[in-house]
Amino acid sequence: MIPLSWYLALAFMLIGLGAYGMMVKRNLIRIIISAEIMGNGVMIALVAFSLYLDTFTFTGQGLVILIISVAAAHTALAMVLMLMYHRRYQTIDLGVPVVQEEISDE
Amino acid sequence: MLMQIEALLEHIEFLLIAGIVLVLAILALEHKDLVYAVFFFGIMASFVAGFFLLLEAPFVAGMQIAVYTGGISVLIIFGVLLLPIFHDTTRERFETIRKKRLGIVLSIFVIILSGSLVFLFTWPTEIPAVNVDLAQSLEGLAQWLWGNHGIYVQFIAIIILTSLIGSLAILKLEKAEHLNPESGVYGLATWDDDTSEKAKAGNKSEDTVPVIMAQDAEEEGT
Repeated sequence: MIPLSWYLALAFMLIGLGAYGMMVKRNLIRIIISAEIMGNGVMIALVAFSLYLDTFTFTGQGLVILIISVAAAHTALAMVLMLMYHRRYQTIDLGVPVVQEEISDE
Repeated sequence: MLMQIEALLEHIEFLLIAGIVLVLAILALEHKDLVYAVFFFGIMASFVAGFFLLLEAPFVAGMQIAVYTGGISVLIIFGVLLLPIFHDTTRERFETIRKKRLGIVLSIFVIILSGSLVFLFTWPTEIPAVNVDLAQSLEGLAQWLWGNHGIYVQFIAIIILTSLIGSLAILKLEKAEHLNPESGVYGLATWDDDTSEKAKAGNKSEDTVPVIMAQDAEEEGT
């Protein structure tokens, strides 16, 4: 039988990789992918906890289903915001300095 | 003997899938071509579903493949394809190398902090004897979702609907700004804006309303 600590180690590795991507990467799409990788790690940890704890409940699996649903929604919203960012600043690279548009009315 | 072989195969299966998932996650973050990176992410999500099968959660595994591999990765690929081609390659630029090092140090700190949770505490090594039957798990999961926690499902439905409407509204907002960027709320000219602008230009707002109403009456008559 695989110990729970193995699943948790893998989950935390995925969370760490996602944190690395979110802190080091500057491409908006890579930041979205990093968030999804972190979410995958959290889901593995939740399902493993729900199976290995003394009193089995479907809380972990149910929460993971809700998380997957919300992940689809927030990814769609993130992609729209990314496209808006690109329309306005002509880049999706957060490392490129963005020149603020001057307000001509004032 | 057979139990030992089964346990050994299970360990090998876990280690194999874990290695593939970690390599694919690193490739998704580090591959230069963004489209390939998204493909690697989709394959990684498929292999994560293997862990859910190991953890006796087949419905979650199916949902993981359907939503992550079939939905989210395709959505990200569509987003990438809507961009100009020069965004396909990674262009991470850091003002100083110190910022990149700071990010790496912080992420290593996160890994060490979370790893300490694994090794400092004693976790169960076996699944408890009283467990749910795999064949009945879908029924129990449905009972959990719709029987006891139906309100959460309703909230999730509202969140998804809100994000859908919000995404469409944001896109339409940008289009409306392009159409009429200087007047009205959300870039759309209203009756009050029209009359107030004419009043500012010297026309009396009282005169403009009858003129417009007279034009409407003429159009209806013709």
